[in-house]
Amino acid sequence: MKAGNTMIKVDQLSKYFTPLKKVVDAISFEVNKGETLVLLGTSGSGKTTTLRMLNRLIEPSSGTITINGQNILQQPADALRRQMGYVLQETGLFPHYTIAENIAIVPGLLQWPKQQTAARTEELLHKLQLPPHEYSEAYPRELSGGQQQRVGLARALAANPPILLMDEPFGALDPITRGMVRKDFMALDELHQKTIVLVTHDVNEAFIMGTQICLMHEGRIAQIGSPATLLFNPANDFVRNFFSEQRLQLELRIMRIHDTWQWLPSAAPGNNAQPLQPGTSYWDALDQLNTGGAFFVQYQGETKSVTSEALFTALNQYKAQKQ
Amino acid sequence: MQEQQGFFEFIRQQSGKLLEQTLVHIGLTFISLIIALAIGVTLGILISRKRWLAGPVLGVAGVLQTIPSIALLGFMIPLLGIGPKPAIVALLLYALLPIIRNTFTGITGVNPAVLEAARGMGMSDAQILRKVQLPLAMPVLLAGIRIATVINVGVATLAAYIAAGGLGEFIFGGIALNNTNMILAGAIPAALLALLFDGALSLLQRVNYRKMRLAVWILPLALVALSSFYLLPATYNGKILAGFTPEFMGRMDGNLGLRKVYNLNLRTLVINDMVMYKAAYEKKLDVISGSTTDGRVKAFDLAALEDDKHIFPPYYAAPIVNEQTLARFPELEPVLNSLSGKINDQVMTALNYQVDYLKQSPEAVAKDFLTKAGLYKSPRQGSKGSITIGSKIFGDGYILAYMYKMLVEGNTDLNVVTKTGLGGTKICFEALRNGQLDMYPEYTGTGLLVILQATKNTVDSLAQQPDKVYHYVQQQFAAQYHIQWMQPIGFNNTYALMMRRSDTAALHIHSISALKSYLTAH
Repeated sequence: MKAGNTMIKVDQLSKYFTPLKKVVDAISFEVNKGETLVLLGTSGSGKTTTLRMLNRLIEPSSGTITINGQNILQQPADALRRQMGYVLQETGLFPHYTIAENIAIVPGLLQWPKQQTAARTEELLHKLQLPPHEYSEAYPRELSGGQQQRVGLARALAANPPILLMDEPFGALDPITRGMVRKDFMALDELHQKTIVLVTHDVNEAFIMGTQICLMHEGRIAQIGSPATLLFNPANDFVRNFFSEQRLQLELRIMRIHDTWQWLPSAAPGNNAQPLQPGTSYWDALDQLNTGGAFFVQYQGETKSVTSEALFTALNQYKAQKQ
Repeated sequence: MQEQQGFFEFIRQQSGKLLEQTLVHIGLTFISLIIALAIGVTLGILISRKRWLAGPVLGVAGVLQTIPSIALLGFMIPLLGIGPKPAIVALLLYALLPIIRNTFTGITGVNPAVLEAARGMGMSDAQILRKVQLPLAMPVLLAGIRIATVINVGVATLAAYIAAGGLGEFIFGGIALNNTNMILAGAIPAALLALLFDGALSLLQRVNYRKMRLAVWILPLALVALSSFYLLPATYNGKILAGFTPEFMGRMDGNLGLRKVYNLNLRTLVINDMVMYKAAYEKKLDVISGSTTDGRVKAFDLAALEDDKHIFPPYYAAPIVNEQTLARFPELEPVLNSLSGKINDQVMTALNYQVDYLKQSPEAVAKDFLTKAGLYKSPRQGSKGSITIGSKIFGDGYILAYMYKMLVEGNTDLNVVTKTGLGGTKICFEALRNGQLDMYPEYTGTGLLVILQATKNTVDSLAQQPDKVYHYVQQQFAAQYHIQWMQPIGFNNTYALMMRRSDTAALHIHSISALKSYLTAH
């Protein structure tokens, strides 16, 4: 059995509901431990069907899925699902269970001792900014949409599954709430060890969360790779056009100051200048620059000053070199 | 007619009986409800999983619900006999539809995202059913239980018709005797029970999810407890079980007289005339209120007990006619009297036997008899006018009504409309007084005791003499109600307590007093 670093391996996976119409057509990909794979695409591209085959809510028509070296199609589906956190767009919280009871569902199925479950529930409520004394005895309908989604995340994480499957987890929230919930979610320390497969049609979200992005179109993979690869080395016109509208914003999101270090001008910091981290994204750096004031970055023994002009010049040179 | 006693007076007098009937009523309602729940919820779950079954299952349950309740009870008799069994089966069939339908609606109405989450977290089908689908379907299911309960409380009043007891005993008795207090004594508690259970279940529907879990345990326990009420009255059971018709229950020449004159307190069920004789034959009842000319007395080998203290007067049958009708159509009188002296006890019993036991139609039996007696003439299809002939809901009545119809239509230019199967003496009589009927066959003893409500002194003075009784009622009816008694037909169809002949011999019970002594001794 190959141990390696691969957590999920999908090989020639297909699903057709009628023989003529293949919803998913012989796709293959791998996800490494601790990575986040984003399944991106328009409606009907097959991304949700692909996700639901991973926990066998949909049975594949052909192909194999291997998780941790084991063929999941030969395992009992219920036991498999208890090893995978599952987050839905519509949360699917049990309306007749309290928040605490909702979070405790999978530990309950796994027959955890009561105390352990209670401690874990409380820990998660704290981490997801839901003070237990206020929320654990409440019912889902008493919570806002954002809070319900936080509970949905806590429920998926409760039993410490190594894998998280997320189906448009923030899709039903308004943009501001979505940003806040996502930020709190991504700040969770326990997320570093998780292998995540996330479905979204939100390009921004894909770039914020994805280690790899798998862009799907009509049941096939248009391109799979790192965000930078998809953006700067699109495999075809479909991929290029898919990102064209938000290209600048996406570029600013994925570019970090140290990526363009060689093209930034050296300069001694001014008197009132403030430091920025070399790993700061262009997006965040420009955000800071908008507040006014001067900034500098120290990296590999050099000091460079950062202005918006300098950043854009460096970006253009980076792109010219890539192509 | 003497003043009827007050309603509360009646309730006070009958409080023991009322309590017993109420307990039996609750018991019947809930035994059938429990069984209906077990079957209905199972079927509801089944059709929520196998959707193609939903149409057929709901269809069949829907058809069951459209069968008139009294007919459904009637269908049960050949299958399950009389008593609680057929009543419970009929009630549960009625309760099925709302329970199946609401289980199905409740389960299929659960938010698909919740189900997807449950499955995605690794719950098995059984766990999803128990922890998600059923709890979330509970409010809808409870609404179905509410409907079923109210239906059952209502339909259970009909159970008295087949000797299963319940508040229907008062209602049927009251209808037969036109005794409003008695009807209300059954109807008001039945309505209150329906309101009470409906209210209790509506409270249960409104409790929140946390308490709902408690309710899931309480509900079955409460149902079982309520069902057991059915057994309570049976605990003071005597050895001998009597089945009396609703009318007999409330007559002086009936159960009231048995209690007053003989001091005889039998454990009694109310049962309709149609199934009473067979029930006695099948040993489901030991004593019945038979009428001596019924064809089934002989067929089932029943014996009448001697009425040694004379609570039953002579019951000579004769048509009674509204005087206004006689004035309009004077030709009626000789026609109606033409049957006089033609039918004695044996003949009437033989005719009833053909209808009650051989299941021939009363019309055919009537025509056959008239033809043999040389009285039958083809209808003249006259257009002079129309009269209405009524009859009570037992053998003699049907046959006689058809005979008079044929006689009138063959010998006059009148048309005849028949209204047979009227629920009791008082109903027939009031209809006759109001002109809704022009005539119906009545019995002298019934006229004396039920309609004239003669005092004990009057009854004693008539000394069980048929002629005296006939003349007394003839005179009194004409004076008080302007209703004429025609000449007696010739047979005496007396009420009698009847038992299986084998029992009367084995237990040496040949008279009502002997029955009383037997009960005292055992």
